[in-house]
Amino acid sequence: MTDLGYYCMMIAFLFSSYAFLGPYMGLSRKGVMLRSVENAITAVFVLLTVASIALLYALVTRDFQVEYVANHTSRELPLFYTISAFWAGQDGSLLLWAWLLSLFSYIVVLQNRYKNRELMPYVISVLSATELFFLILLIFPSNPFSRLPFVPENGQGMNPLLQNPGMIFHPPTLYLGYVGFTIPFAFAISALITGQLGEGWLKSTRGWIIFSWYMLGIGILLGANWAYQVLGWGGYWAWDPVENASLMPWLTGTAFLHSIMIQEKRGMLKVWNMVLIIVTFLLCIFGTFITRSGIISSVHAFARSSIGYYFIVFIIISGAYSFYLVNKRKGGLSSEKHLDSLLSRESSFLFNNLILVGGAFAVFWGTIFPIVSEAVRGVKITVGPPFFNKIMTPIGFLLLFLTGICPLISWSKATWSNFRRNFLIPTISSILFFIILLVAGINHIKAAISFSLCFFVFITILLEYYRGTRARMQLLGEGVIRAFVNLNLKNRRRYGGYLIHIAMLMIFVGITGSSAFSIEKEVVLKKGESIEINSYRITYSDFKIERKINKFIAQAELIVTNNEKQIGIMKPVKAFYLNQMDQPVSEVFIRMGLKEDLYAILAGYEEFGRTAIFKFLVNPLVLWIWIGGAAMTAGTIIAVWPERKR
Amino acid sequence: MNKARIKIVAGSIIILLTLAFLVFTGMKESFVYYFTVSELLEKKDSLYGKGVRVAGKVEPGSIVYDSRNLNLEFNIMDDSHRVRVIYHGILPDLFKDNADVVVEGEYHPSGLFKASQLLAKCPSKYEARYEEKKKSRDSK
Repeated sequence: MTDLGYYCMMIAFLFSSYAFLGPYMGLSRKGVMLRSVENAITAVFVLLTVASIALLYALVTRDFQVEYVANHTSRELPLFYTISAFWAGQDGSLLLWAWLLSLFSYIVVLQNRYKNRELMPYVISVLSATELFFLILLIFPSNPFSRLPFVPENGQGMNPLLQNPGMIFHPPTLYLGYVGFTIPFAFAISALITGQLGEGWLKSTRGWIIFSWYMLGIGILLGANWAYQVLGWGGYWAWDPVENASLMPWLTGTAFLHSIMIQEKRGMLKVWNMVLIIVTFLLCIFGTFITRSGIISSVHAFARSSIGYYFIVFIIISGAYSFYLVNKRKGGLSSEKHLDSLLSRESSFLFNNLILVGGAFAVFWGTIFPIVSEAVRGVKITVGPPFFNKIMTPIGFLLLFLTGICPLISWSKATWSNFRRNFLIPTISSILFFIILLVAGINHIKAAISFSLCFFVFITILLEYYRGTRARMQLLGEGVIRAFVNLNLKNRRRYGGYLIHIAMLMIFVGITGSSAFSIEKEVVLKKGESIEINSYRITYSDFKIERKINKFIAQAELIVTNNEKQIGIMKPVKAFYLNQMDQPVSEVFIRMGLKEDLYAILAGYEEFGRTAIFKFLVNPLVLWIWIGGAAMTAGTIIAVWPERKR
Repeated sequence: MNKARIKIVAGSIIILLTLAFLVFTGMKESFVYYFTVSELLEKKDSLYGKGVRVAGKVEPGSIVYDSRNLNLEFNIMDDSHRVRVIYHGILPDLFKDNADVVVEGEYHPSGLFKASQLLAKCPSKYEARYEEKKKSRDSK
């Protein structure tokens, strides 16, 4: 089976090379040639599917002679996690990348059987070039099918921290986003090569752009959720290089998502859009690179490996070629209209873009600074979370503000009446809200600003819903609910977008609450003792050790009361996996609530639990981050749902 | 260029300059040196009172943990040198003899490193153990 997998990758390499060179070999016989390279794409997809099944088979049958299987699974590992071992390590996750890309390429071919016939040869060529890069990695330095010269009795097992449902979904979701952005990138490059610089490439890839953006965002949130529930330090985001790596393309992707609207509606910002999609694609590759090369030291300890050089070469070549093309075509990319006023939708989108890209650049700079300083000055200097928090706070404020302004300010030139209609009520009410917050005793000024800005945006959107619904009721005589539902269904892009904005507000509220008002306590408790944190009283009541399928657990029982009333029992756990008894894993217990989470960690214990060490946190509003993720999902579905054909 | 465009360009420049300024000051305020144990000792005279991050291994047998008061002492070491670290708080799960750790804090003239943060990294065994085995076979 493993030989089969390896040979499939080799043959896929040949087919990809053919599809890559296709347009340059047979331009004279275009139609025939194009069908032929399209078949090559199908072949690559089938071959890589077989290769992936071969790896899955090796994992599930626990063929420990395969090094990858031995390194990431063991006999004790449940089937569920044995399957997720596919992407637990470098080789497997690169195969996942390659397979997803072959799948997406195949879908693109199907979608464009009768469309974009001039672009397609080059789209296929660019997709295949990317596929080739990953196949080279898979065949040479990072072969998931490579074998050990002996057959180990048992495998290494999987890192206990990865044995969690979150780990099943987080990496593939992120990869769907990373790989997805390759599609609009390929169309952009083809538009540049063929000189067909109209809106065609944007329209054809709109679905892919939103899909990739959404997957990347949800992947980031799932990662944050995994960190919060599993890593057990009480937070969800640490500005770790690997996290930053996924945030950067999301920021530039968000900028792209917005600025293409300006190109669609006004024929402006064409060069900028090209640059944005190229940068986003490069950041997706860079993200995979940071995660997999270990070049920047990170708590996500992945193996340091040689594949870094391959990535650098690929990024440089594709970046240089892309920007060469943009430069060559810049004549055809000039704007059809000019900016008329500082106070207009066009310029507010432009500012939103500058801030998003500026934010991405700040994150980039902070992330690679250790490497730069070591190369330039010979000293390794890192910038920690304080740097990122400091710089991203004002960036977040500006973004929030523009989230309120951008969708409502008039095109071309804003007038006073436009301003009064859309912003007067939100402005006044959010200033009032700010004052109320201060009077109510919130002494954290940044948090108060953040909440007030969220309130401002929320009111602007609410007014939009209100006006739209009322208009339908008056003009079409619909009832309230019907008018509201139809409003959303008839303008899916617009109202899907609003819902996504509301989702972002929820996420901002959650981030603000938890970063400004989180409280933590570390204590040693004897059985029967209790501690107070905020209005909670937590009593350490019981302790037990139990055997589960593949681990022992030590579990403490804590009785939680709030204002003398018992509200629940918390059971934080320390787990010892059978094949890694020397590495305990904390399983935290979280009482989630809309107002705040109570978070308990069993950090240690002595004499069978006569005394135990705990860390408790009260994290306000965190739940809103995850609710925001759900709202983002709903908004995205509304926005991409095809309009009914008439 | 018309007036509006000048304003927009000016606005953009102001935004970019502000961001650049934030990055610059943020950098100055929050950067920390990242050293190995030997590098720390080499440069210790210039580092008193400054934020430093040090990476190394936990010397086996050096861990002393007072779990009543959450006070920890251990030696962080590299191939040639070691430094005594003191820390207050709970221990990360991965913290044990020979674990790869990163401590952040200040080096004191007394020769103690007072850590305000203690990070333990995943043991590299998940990737590396068979590599070693393979190498030792090859050399036979």
